[in-house]
Amino acid sequence: MNANAAAREHPHYAGGREPPREIGQLGMWVFIASEILFFGGLFVAYVYGRSHWPNGFAQASRHTDVVLGTLNTGVLLTSSAVIALAVACAESPAFRRWTARLLWLTAALGVIFIVVKGMEYRKEWHEHLFPGPGFELDAGGAQLFFMLYFVMTALHALHLAIGIVGVSLFAWATGQAKSWAPPRRIDIMALYWHFVDVVWIFLYPLLYLVERHS
Amino acid sequence: MNEREFKRHAFKLLLAWLALLVLMLSSLGSAYLSLGVGNLIAGVAIATVKSSIVALLFMRLARSSATVRLVAVVGIAMWLLLAGLSGVDYATRSRQPAAFQLPRQLPSLAPEQEPR
Amino acid sequence: MSYLEDGLTLRSWFFTTDHKRIAILYAIAITGFFFIGGAAATLIRLELATPAGDLVSHDTYNRLFTAHGVIMVWLFLIPSIPSVLGNFLIPLMIGARDLAFPRLNLLSWYLYIAGGLIILASLFLGGVDTGWTFYTPYSTMFSNSWVAVTLTGVFVTGFSSILTGLNFIVTVHTLRTPGMGWFKLPLFVWAIYATSVILVLATPVLAITTLLVIAERLWQIGVFDPAYGGDPLLFQHLFWFYSHPAVYIMVLPAMGVASEIIPCFARQRIFGYRFMAYAILGIASIGFLVWGHHMFVSGQSVAASMVFSLLSFMVAIPSSIKVFNWTATLYRGSIHFDAPMLYALGFVGLFTVGGLTGLVLASLSLDVHLTDTYFVVSHFHYIMVGGSVMAYFGGLHFWWPKITGRMYADTWARIAAVLIFLGFNLTFFPQYLLGVQGMPRRYHTYPPEFQVLNLLSSSGAVVLAVGYLLPLFYFAWSLRPGGRIAGANPFHATGLEWTTPSPPPKDNFEQLPEPPQEVYGYDPAKDPRHDPARGGAMAAEPVR
Repeated sequence: MNANAAAREHPHYAGGREPPREIGQLGMWVFIASEILFFGGLFVAYVYGRSHWPNGFAQASRHTDVVLGTLNTGVLLTSSAVIALAVACAESPAFRRWTARLLWLTAALGVIFIVVKGMEYRKEWHEHLFPGPGFELDAGGAQLFFMLYFVMTALHALHLAIGIVGVSLFAWATGQAKSWAPPRRIDIMALYWHFVDVVWIFLYPLLYLVERHS
Repeated sequence: MNEREFKRHAFKLLLAWLALLVLMLSSLGSAYLSLGVGNLIAGVAIATVKSSIVALLFMRLARSSATVRLVAVVGIAMWLLLAGLSGVDYATRSRQPAAFQLPRQLPSLAPEQEPR
Repeated sequence: MSYLEDGLTLRSWFFTTDHKRIAILYAIAITGFFFIGGAAATLIRLELATPAGDLVSHDTYNRLFTAHGVIMVWLFLIPSIPSVLGNFLIPLMIGARDLAFPRLNLLSWYLYIAGGLIILASLFLGGVDTGWTFYTPYSTMFSNSWVAVTLTGVFVTGFSSILTGLNFIVTVHTLRTPGMGWFKLPLFVWAIYATSVILVLATPVLAITTLLVIAERLWQIGVFDPAYGGDPLLFQHLFWFYSHPAVYIMVLPAMGVASEIIPCFARQRIFGYRFMAYAILGIASIGFLVWGHHMFVSGQSVAASMVFSLLSFMVAIPSSIKVFNWTATLYRGSIHFDAPMLYALGFVGLFTVGGLTGLVLASLSLDVHLTDTYFVVSHFHYIMVGGSVMAYFGGLHFWWPKITGRMYADTWARIAAVLIFLGFNLTFFPQYLLGVQGMPRRYHTYPPEFQVLNLLSSSGAVVLAVGYLLPLFYFAWSLRPGGRIAGANPFHATGLEWTTPSPPPKDNFEQLPEPPQEVYGYDPAKDPRHDPARGGAMAAEPVR
């Protein structure tokens, strides 16, 4: 649908009719672009740290829990596939009734991620890997690694939590057949969820897999 | 979409999901090999491929309007610019760490005291 | 019924989703912040009238210039033209009924107010002494002031900016009236669009940087601390990656305003419309490549400094194209020196001076001597005050009849414009000379040989203050019951916003308008004010 036809259908044109997908979708992508730059500052700090302290980053990375990290990555990748399927169901009359369940599953997978992350944080706390006096590792830059690790994963977890709330709201609304949860809005929520997944796709190798071979 | 299209799309999603898991495990595996800078390249490259699958298929970027694709490209390009141009500074700074020196004591400003 | 009459309760204002009302909410708020920032400037200039540090302590002085910078940049300049004039005019100029996301627009205003209140709170608590640039490690490790609170306010305000930019981008892409292609858009729309792209891409980097500084202050998460392997200069890279494009956020909308006013009061189509549009995009793009010119003496490598210096020269090219084209628009035009035109011409002249001195500062070898002197202070005030503020005032004067339906007293408006122009030059031109002579910035005392120039500067500030206060009076006076009613198009301007009544109805247009045959369809030979049939007076009806 071209921009001019889309314009004619905006509610502020004709009163009351739903705006076409283009407006909401473009809005969410513009927001995602801003989020790329938001996380991007942290990734730049990471690039700085790793290039200046390769040994410290390597040593520190070995102290992350690669089993839980890999598990979590699998969980999030699956949740992305599930919500993509949910969006397809919402747009397909034959399978529409699966949408709510798939959205709830997506949210549940997100909750699993957060729980596992919490377990990792607890472990790291007991191993004295939180930055501060009493930090366990001595290689230069190891503490910088963990500073970035906690800030980046915490910021990611915050975004994921917002996503879980949003997806749950849509899951509930779809189950109740609320009018404010049409397929195009679920699509927009899914875009956000996928973005949070992409951030983690990059965090995984950069935090857990710096150097595992020694 | 109708039933046939849905089934085709769902099948594509299934394949993509499997591909993502395989890529994740290969990324994990490659970290246990001693590849030097190749480890970093492998990690980032595999992550890029995974993200492309998520973006192009799950987020349907491949079928989105030109404007939307432009927005995605510009966002990524801007990050590359930030990292790249500040990288010019970091790549060309010379690092000359000074040898450790004991702090110098300046003479005291207090008046000389008579020895007790 | 106009948008002003559609709902008279406070509730109808504070819960509005009408872009025109939100524009007015922004206008009132930024005016308040402008005078608070101006009060800080007044104290600064009073202190600097004498060489001795006798009015305030050095610590208070540091907090004053920081408050002035923080408030003027984030709470006044960044939102001024986009959030006031942009909000009001973009839907009207493209023939839409509102922005793409009206409720998000209201949220933007509330975020702006929340951030502004947090910043004011930090002022009341005692303020910040780091300078608006918050350089590490002073801001993260050594400053004994309310850094975290202030930066929280900046963070919140930043999200207001991002959401506003997002709204404008989607609006311009999707809500143009049918038939309105990109090259039929007024340059003001192009300017706000490019500004919005910068808002969306640059502000998030500031946001994450403020979070990192807060984290380092509160929890010693020392990404900028060398003791942990961090780099204080990393802060500057991240900060200036935003803050340089931020100055284009401040100046591009001003250029857009000038491009609307000058053709109207020269009765001439803008010279080189397409080049003007491309230049706007050029400024926005190249503006992202030059941030290192703020870091020439900070420890950045010489190689990187040379790269940034070269790129900074390149950004002057599209800016100068615009200056040439505004000037060429005047040639053989039928020029009228109404108040908006005085402001627009003042903008072009002062922006040119500021821009030329920017080239001086972009030269690496000269910058080594001029950095952190009053030369820099004067350069950016020529651009931001002589440029952006003058254009903002010009825009207020040009569109005041459309926004309020009233006409202000043009004579008083012209007096104010002249006072502002003269006061501005008296305030800031001596600062170039002070800078070349070596007077450093951010000091509350100075050697006695600098006093004459400082006194001239402080005197100019008095004139400037009078000039800024005058509009409050004649604008308020224009709103009185029985004040002069302005017609739909008192200046005979082109543009869709002038085809609807003044003030516009709530839904902007009775019927959605057709785009014009030609954007800026002016002809100096057909100047309606030279129409003998009307006796040379300004017509009340639009002339087609």
